[in-house]
Parts: sequence; structure tokens; C-alpha cells
Amino acid sequence: MKAGLFIATALLYAIACILYLFVLTRGSGKAQRVPGTVFVAALGAHLAFLLLESPAPGELPLADISQILSVSSFGIGIAFLLASYRFDVTILGAFVAPLSLMLFLASGLGSSYAPVPPRVESVMLTLHIGANVIGLVAFALAFAAGVAYMVQERLLRRRQLGGVFQRLPPLDVLDTMGLRAVLVGFPLLTFGMITGTFWLLRAGGSEFYVSQALGLVAWAIFASVIVLRVAAGWQGRKAALGTMMGFLFTLLVLAGYAYRAAGGSA
Amino acid sequence: MRDFVVVGLSHRTAPVEVRERLAVAPDRLEEELREIAAHGRFDEALLISTCNRVELYATSANPIEAAQTAKEALAGRLAGSAGDDVLYLARGADVIRHVFRVASSLDSLVVGEPQILGQVKEAFDAAKGAGTVGTLLGRCFTQAFATAKRVRNETGIAEGTVSVSSIACELAKKIFGNLEGRRTLLLGAGEMGESAARSLRQTGTQLHVVNRSEERAQKLANACGGRAVPYERLTTELADADVVIASTASPNFILTPKLMKGVVRTRRHRPLFIIDIAVPRDVDPRVGNMDNVFVYDVDDLQQVAEENLSVRAREAAQAENIIEEELESFLSWRRSLELAPTIVALRRRFAQVAEEEVQRALPRLEGVSPSDRAVLEAMGRSLVNKLLHQPMTQLKAGASEPDGAQLIDAVRRLFALSAEEHSADEPSTDSPKEGTVTQLSTAAATGSTGESK
Repeated sequence: MKAGLFIATALLYAIACILYLFVLTRGSGKAQRVPGTVFVAALGAHLAFLLLESPAPGELPLADISQILSVSSFGIGIAFLLASYRFDVTILGAFVAPLSLMLFLASGLGSSYAPVPPRVESVMLTLHIGANVIGLVAFALAFAAGVAYMVQERLLRRRQLGGVFQRLPPLDVLDTMGLRAVLVGFPLLTFGMITGTFWLLRAGGSEFYVSQALGLVAWAIFASVIVLRVAAGWQGRKAALGTMMGFLFTLLVLAGYAYRAAGGSA
Repeated sequence: MRDFVVVGLSHRTAPVEVRERLAVAPDRLEEELREIAAHGRFDEALLISTCNRVELYATSANPIEAAQTAKEALAGRLAGSAGDDVLYLARGADVIRHVFRVASSLDSLVVGEPQILGQVKEAFDAAKGAGTVGTLLGRCFTQAFATAKRVRNETGIAEGTVSVSSIACELAKKIFGNLEGRRTLLLGAGEMGESAARSLRQTGTQLHVVNRSEERAQKLANACGGRAVPYERLTTELADADVVIASTASPNFILTPKLMKGVVRTRRHRPLFIIDIAVPRDVDPRVGNMDNVFVYDVDDLQQVAEENLSVRAREAAQAENIIEEELESFLSWRRSLELAPTIVALRRRFAQVAEEEVQRALPRLEGVSPSDRAVLEAMGRSLVNKLLHQPMTQLKAGASEPDGAQLIDAVRRLFALSAEEHSADEPSTDSPKEGTVTQLSTAAATGSTGESK
């Protein structure tokens, strides 16, 4: 049952990816809503999967890194749906859906990940994980907007003003979207890091130092992106690049945890 | 047989000096149509007059003569013998195809431009107002509108802009999203620059005009609804603008990397879209490599226009298929119009023969009681019905096939259901038509004859 649902969800995500990319590159007058529908179906299957994983009714399954990845992937999908109503950027699904798929598949790889030992569970840990998951979701949207910005700017500079350029949103919309998402994500990341440090100190260990270092790098990148944007008026390509880098580092943090957890169980 | 006729000229056949002599102002259309209809010869008439075409559509029972009349009417307004060279004339299915193509903007100067459909609709409304549209033209134009809609929805014929100033606008929108409240700086007084500035102004941007001659700047600003700014303030204006249209006559670059470096710093990296329409160029190409500065020159814009045009041309080929489909559907409707009178005539012919034969047989029989007589008459009718049942079924089924017209034609020939059979119960089509729509539509319903095409 669980395995079947996992495969179904992954397949739906994959189909949504392909359809989004098809609409982006080929365009299609009539089938514009199809990828979105498939993506919503994927989210539905994903929700059902999460409910099966859920430890208690109404509680999110956030017990180990695998479940965290899965919930993040789901959160990115939901946040994207909300954002696409706000900004009219449904076509960005072409960049968001692959992210969702990737994180979801990564969560499946980690069925052998060791759960967080019960002794270190605490409110602090829940806050740490919750804040970081929402932060990650925000950064993922910023990342998608950043990728779209880079593509769009490149097309504009190369004078390739055909289909893809027409279908992607205006540069200004992408830039604004990236800025807002980072502004939402950054305080959450900060809060997540503080709670994480507290928890770590209380649990009396410093075993995750690689991930912590990576997390600090990501934090520093986002901090400088925000400072440069607000103080020096940075816009456009450089800001998009910085945002993308920051997101990649947050992914590395997760990868570090996953590696660590997998190693721990082995 | 009642048929369609079109006579007219367009940008394909006549230069503007000739077209403007025939053009009819929109508010004069109805009047003009009433005059044309009063001359007779036409059952229905419709006049399209745009800056690129003037065309008179009509239907008539005598299309060849009607076409001649229409041509003379239009040629009469052209001085001399110019008419023969520039006027075209078509009859039958070609007219329908032409209407569909015109309404779908396939025959336009700029293929895919959207105005023509509205203009055709206006012409149709005017003709309805003048009471010169009946069943045939009515159906034909209604279907032309549906066809145009299909072409627009199912092909990319209207996609992509094809004029330099609207491409500039589209690009600005792709960079800035909403243009409302953004600022355009028009630098110089070139004609193309002015037209681009006007287009941008229409999207809700503010317009500032800078020119070496302040007087000229003021004049331009007044003409486009902008503000003239002294040339000395160029640097500040560049720092505040979002879109810059450069079209000065200067032989050297005006926007040099050195100047722009300072500008970009003052702008704090806000994106700047520079459209260089000037020849020789006003903007050093190196400016285009700066961060958040996008420079398009006239060649770039022209190239986009050409690409979009070629896309439209490709889509037009697909549109032609839609036109043919719709044409086929229209012709099949026409055949169904011919079918009804054919069936009536066929039944009448058979019933008449049965009746005659019964009447002929009766005197030869002796002692026929009224009930015997009734039996005989009933037998005659029943024979006719039985004999006609299969052919009728086949005829009804076959009439909607593509070659249905030939079938109907064959039946008419086989049973000699010729024109004179009809003329008895048909209102004369020769009388002048002051006709109302209802009169015209009855004529249309019975108007077809057995003449082959």
C-alpha cells in the first residue's frame, strides 16, 4: 500500500514535470491547465502518503530526515500553488515540479535513515525542524524564480524572443517573487538555526558540525543577498544567482544530514 | 440558380490613391447599400469598406449579369478605364472562401491583424440595417465570424507583434511587468522614436522628452502627451527613466559606457531598457553588456518583426485548412437548402402522374361505386409512396455528402424537375428588390433550380 502510493506519487510528479516542460517549450493553446491538474493530483497522492506516515492524526511526520524531505517536497508544491495564484506564474511549475520530484525521490531513498533518537526529542527540535522546513520551502520558490530569471534574461540578451521567452513571466515579476520569498525564508532560517543550536547544546553534542557549517554558509549568503538588495539596490541577475547559491547550500545541509543519518544506521 | 458574387479591390490590386476613391465612410454604408439595392439585379447586398479594401458582396438569381452590374457600378466611380485593372470579380464558392479569408485576416496587408473582423462585422450590421441581407449572405457572414474565431483560437496567426513600436512595447512589458507609472525617456526626434514613444505612452508610462532643440522637444512633448526636459538634465533623466528611446540624428554615440556607468550607479541597478532606433546608432554596443541594462537596436527589433511574420505565415497555412473545412460545411448547408424543394417537386411530379392515371382509368370502368373509387385513388397514392420511399431516403442521406450537389442535380435531371416547374410557385426574382429580410429568405429557401454548376 505505502510502496504503491509512493510510486504513484512519484509518477504523477514526473508526469507533471514533463507536461510543464512541454508547455513551457512547445506551448499549447488548450492544454495549459493540464500540467497544473496533474501536479495537484500528485500533491493529493502525496498528502495521502503523508497521512499514512503520520504518527498521530493531524500530526506531520517529521521524525527522520526522510520524512522531513517528503514534507518539504509537499510544502513546496502547496506554496507554489499559492504563489501562482498571487503572481500568475503557473508556468514556473516547469522549475518547481522537478524540485518537488527530486526531494520526494530523495525521501524514498532514505527508508534506511535512522530516526532521531527519542532521547533528544524536544520542543526545541520540533521548532527547529518546522522553521527550517518552511524556510526551505520559501527558498525553493526563490530558487525557481531565480532559475526562471536567469533563463529569461539570457533569452532577452540573446534576442531569442520566441516561445519560451513569451511564456515565462516578466523579469520584474520574477525578481520581486525571488526577493519576497527570500525575505520570508530568511527569518525562518535564522530562527531555525538558533533553535537548532540551542537543542544541540542541550542534547550535549556537536556531531553535526559539517551540516552546521554548511547551514552557516547558506545563512551568510542569504543575509548578504538581502543586505545587497535592500542597501545597495541589487536586482536581477546577481541577486538571482546569490539566491540560487543559497538554496543549493540549504540543500547541501539536508544532504549532510541524510548522509550522516544513513551512515549512522550502517 | 441563386449564387454569390463579389466585386472589389484591395491592397493586392490597387494602390491607396485608387482605393480611397472608392472608400465609403462607415456612416454612409447603409445609405449606399440602399442605393445599390434600389438598382435591382441583386437579391442581397453587402458592402465592406476599409482602408485596405472595398468590396461589394451580393447574391442574385442571375449571377453573371449581377457581377457585371456590380463591376460597372464600382468602375463607374473610378475615373477612366482604371476599373478593369484593379477590380476583381468572383462567383460561387470562391466568394464564400474569400469572405472567410477576409474575416480571418488571411487576406490582410498584415496577416493576422485583428481589426478586420470588427470592420466586417460593422459592414454586416450596416447591411442588416439597410435590409439588404437575407438568408444566404446572412448565413455566409455569420459563419465567416465563427471561422475567424476558430482561426484565431486554433492557430497562432495573431501571435507575436509585427510592428517595431509594438515590439518595443511588448519587450518593455516582458522586462518591467506592469508599465503603469514607469517612465519613458524619448531622446531625439526621429519619427520611429516618436511612434514607439506613443505606443509606450498608451500603456500608461510617463513620457519625458529630451532634445537638443528645446523648441522641438516641447512640440514633441505636446504631440505625445509628455513633458519636455532641458538637454542639460540628460544624466538625471537617464537615472530616473525605465525605458529610453534613442533616436537622435547624432553621428556619434551619445550613451557611452562612461556616461552609463555613472548612470547605472545612480540608478542602483534598477533595470534599464534602451531602444536605439537611431541610424547611425546612439548607444555604444558595450552599454548592452552592463548589468541590468538591455539594449535593442533597430535591426534587433526588425528581426523580431520578421520572425513573427514568418511564424504567422506558417500558421496561415494551417488556417487555410480551417477555411476549407468551414467552406465545405457551408456548401453542405447550401445543398440542404436545395434538397427541400427537390423533394417537394419530386413528390408533386409522382403524385400528379398517379392522379392523372387514376382519372384516366376511371371512365373506362363500369359501375364504380364511390368506395371503389376511393380504393383506386388510395392505391395510386400508396404506389407513389412505396416507389419513392427508397429514393427519398437515399436522397436525404446523400445530400449532405460532399458530392451531394451532383446527386440532387441528377435527380432533377432524371425526373425533369426543371426550372419551369419551379417558376410557377416561386416569387419572380427579376422584380426589383426593395425586399425585407423575410421576403429574401423565402426566396432563398425555394430559390435554387436544377441548373448544374
